[in-house]
Amino acid sequence: MNPAEELKQLFPDSVVSVGFQIKKPLAIIKKEDLLNVAKKVKEMGFDNLSVITGIDYRDRFEVVYNFFSYTKKQNLVLKVILDHNNPEVSSLASIWKVADWLERETYDLVGITFGGHPNLKRILLPDGWIGHPLRKDYDMNVDQFVTVGEDGEDIVSTDGTNLLRR
Amino acid sequence: MLFLAMWTGDIMFANAYELIVFILNFIGIYEPINNIFKTLGIEYVLRIIIVFVEIAVLFVFALLTIMFLTWMERKVVAMVQARYGPMVTGPRGLLQPVMDGVKLIGKEDIIPAKADRWVFTLAPFLVFIPALLIFIPLPFGESLIISDLNVGLLYIIAISAVSPIAILLAGWASNNKYSLMGAMRAVAQDISYTIPLALSAIAIVLFTGSLSTVDIVTAQNGTWFGFIPKWFIFLQPLGFILFLIASIAEMGRIPFDFQESEQELVAGFFTEYSGMKFAMFFLAEYAHLFSVSAIVVTLFLGGWSFPYISLLPAALVPLVSLGVFLVKTYAVIFFAMWLRDTVPRVRIDQLLNLGWKIMIPLALLNLLVTGFLLTVGVF
Amino acid sequence: MKTDELLINMGPVHPSTHGVLRFKLTMDGEIIKKCEIVMGYLHRGTEKLGEMKTYMQFVPYTDRLDYISAFPNNYAYVKAVEELAGIEVPLRAEYIRVLTLELNRIVNHLVMLGSLLLDLGASTMIMYGFRERENALALFDMLCGARMTFNYIKPGGVREDMPEGFIPKLNEFINDMDKRIDDYEQLISGNEIFMGRMKGIGVMSAQDAINYGMTGPSLRGHGVNYDIRKLEPYSVYPDLDFKVCVRNEGDSFARYMVRIDEMRESLHILRQVVDAMPPAKPASLAKYGIAPMTGVPTAVSTYFPRIFTPPPGEVYSRIEAPKGELGFYIVSDGTIKPYRIKIRSPSFCNLTAIPKMVEGLMIPDLIAAFGTIDVVLGDVDR
Repeated sequence: MNPAEELKQLFPDSVVSVGFQIKKPLAIIKKEDLLNVAKKVKEMGFDNLSVITGIDYRDRFEVVYNFFSYTKKQNLVLKVILDHNNPEVSSLASIWKVADWLERETYDLVGITFGGHPNLKRILLPDGWIGHPLRKDYDMNVDQFVTVGEDGEDIVSTDGTNLLRR
Repeated sequence: MLFLAMWTGDIMFANAYELIVFILNFIGIYEPINNIFKTLGIEYVLRIIIVFVEIAVLFVFALLTIMFLTWMERKVVAMVQARYGPMVTGPRGLLQPVMDGVKLIGKEDIIPAKADRWVFTLAPFLVFIPALLIFIPLPFGESLIISDLNVGLLYIIAISAVSPIAILLAGWASNNKYSLMGAMRAVAQDISYTIPLALSAIAIVLFTGSLSTVDIVTAQNGTWFGFIPKWFIFLQPLGFILFLIASIAEMGRIPFDFQESEQELVAGFFTEYSGMKFAMFFLAEYAHLFSVSAIVVTLFLGGWSFPYISLLPAALVPLVSLGVFLVKTYAVIFFAMWLRDTVPRVRIDQLLNLGWKIMIPLALLNLLVTGFLLTVGVF
Repeated sequence: MKTDELLINMGPVHPSTHGVLRFKLTMDGEIIKKCEIVMGYLHRGTEKLGEMKTYMQFVPYTDRLDYISAFPNNYAYVKAVEELAGIEVPLRAEYIRVLTLELNRIVNHLVMLGSLLLDLGASTMIMYGFRERENALALFDMLCGARMTFNYIKPGGVREDMPEGFIPKLNEFINDMDKRIDDYEQLISGNEIFMGRMKGIGVMSAQDAINYGMTGPSLRGHGVNYDIRKLEPYSVYPDLDFKVCVRNEGDSFARYMVRIDEMRESLHILRQVVDAMPPAKPASLAKYGIAPMTGVPTAVSTYFPRIFTPPPGEVYSRIEAPKGELGFYIVSDGTIKPYRIKIRSPSFCNLTAIPKMVEGLMIPDLIAAFGTIDVVLGDVDR
């Protein structure tokens, strides 16, 4: 029995469906129960959270978690489906430390909010950047100009006024 | 030939001044010139002129040495690292230091807006001048010494203790965190390494009974069994090792280059300096390299003396001894450069631990054993 | 005496941050109280660019991620695409790929060793490392006409077969490298100062290291016996004999030693690849795909259509890059462009561990630990 099916047995209500993502067991989880399921997943020996991917499907967001277990040498993929208007899911940073930055990156580029994250702010783009670039509705025709302010903070503008000195 | 023939016997001069007077006398122009000044009633002017000539010669020598050392450093590094080093300006890149100087003079002299302008400008000079002052009691060869101070060794240690103050000034005045940290490190390092340095030098003084550098060198004349030179390195092997390590720390070179530590503190205390002020620090560093190596040679490697040097015609001795001295000094310098290319930098706390917990006790022990052996008359 | 905490800004322009990374250090004297990492100075939006290029066009962009070792990037992306569409690759092409991957692993570790030692203040190793790297880059140049950004591995195989005289040159390099690694060990490994700087610095337990997402040689220095080449074998690695290099101490020195061992292991693999390299077979005419086919099959590449539309689906495929686990998550919607590309870069995730690792250490230790984690900022910021 693969780990996705195991999860389905343990959490019949939380796991919406199980399947495969090219040979890797996949389980789609209700977003409210993610934290509970994730705790169980950690107990099952999936100690390595490989990657968190946020995908904008125009009508919905999907967040995909790829796990790997060094002890059992197994893969597991969890997926949550989020509402497009209010993409929020609970953070896994308390379970896997690496999720801290991966979630920040997902927040930064895709704009998914992770509830309970210790330090949810932009990581790759400057603070104050307008929009989330990996969303499909991101407007790429708007130029954004970034300068560094007096105290090292980032200043972003769309008309370039901050580039002029004084 | 006449000159050589007439200059025989054991004529030794206390310092270079007397040597110059002797040579002028020899050519026969000292008395006439002296008479001219005497009739004017200002014979002290001649003395002043001669002293100035001496100092000018020393200064030019020092600057040329520094320039040569910068070139040599690059060439040695290149040799170790399997590349060529400077090759374009001049034969084998020998004029590279000149071009560097031209570049540095041409650079804008930036003083940071929030720096302490006066101290910021003063610090490079305070670093550079002591580095030159150390040259005064160095015996470059027989009779070739600016001034044979009877407290020569003390003078050297005292003068070299000025540079950490100047470095602290530079670091403080720059108003930069890296500069300040570099300066703090430099001071901590200098304080902890001057002690073993001085202690192992004192062990030498126990043998000679004099602080004068000339006496120290003459004490190392001669041989044991006809072939082992009577250098203090053979009497004081532990002292030599301690002194060498401490002097490399004094020079502030890898593995002990904390004042600079490029990869940690960008450039340490001279992060904010540019142009000629930067060049001053740079020159001082190489002046230090030469003078500290020269002191190592003077104290432990017999200075300008060499077995059977007294068999040479007396007129040749100053020149030959100068050659011997330079060869030995450059050997020590080469060692320092070689070390720099081979080992990584130690950590600041490891350095201080080494200084306080290992080197100072060892230096004290060395002093104690030497004193004991001298008292019971083994040496 | 009451003392204040000192805030030091290391970077973005600093000699030992390997590019444009910024550490915000809260210091108590020389001791690091808190380390915060600020990045993104080299962010080029590679993932967004991927959504605007066709599958083939995106390959050159992967070169620019980890510019020290570009072959693994090429390969990781191409492997994801091949898994997504189920493309078969000629055996000779697979061997050439493994050859480039392992050669690039050596190059990467040479650069890592050089810059680590340079950060510690020993300037010689980087010159030695770059001397040998130059030979390897000349080999790459022979292979694909580029030294650092190759665009060589393409979906379906590799771009060109090996040129005449490549194998003898490679053998020369391998034999030379064997002696050189011994030289490096003599210069570095036994050095008392080096050991003093590295041993017991940046220690982390294996459990923590996994939890912080460390992978690759950095993780193997913590005693975790893992290697994606063994766990999820890809390409021709199952046919090759090599062992996983593991050290148990979990400090900077262990992470450094893993690299040295891996270089030796890579040479071992390269020798086997040279011996086992299958002869160039005439191009197979097995066809793929539904779109008009314009790509011409060669001995080292199957048909790969210019207008390539993989079936809709998602794939996460990962390889053991020199720096750690490099993965590409590709979502296809059946058009000629990827719908979403997510890059799981080893440098980014390895860097997560740094703030925890250096707490209570000093700036020189931060540099030592950071050097052994081995990041490239192009890979961190993407």
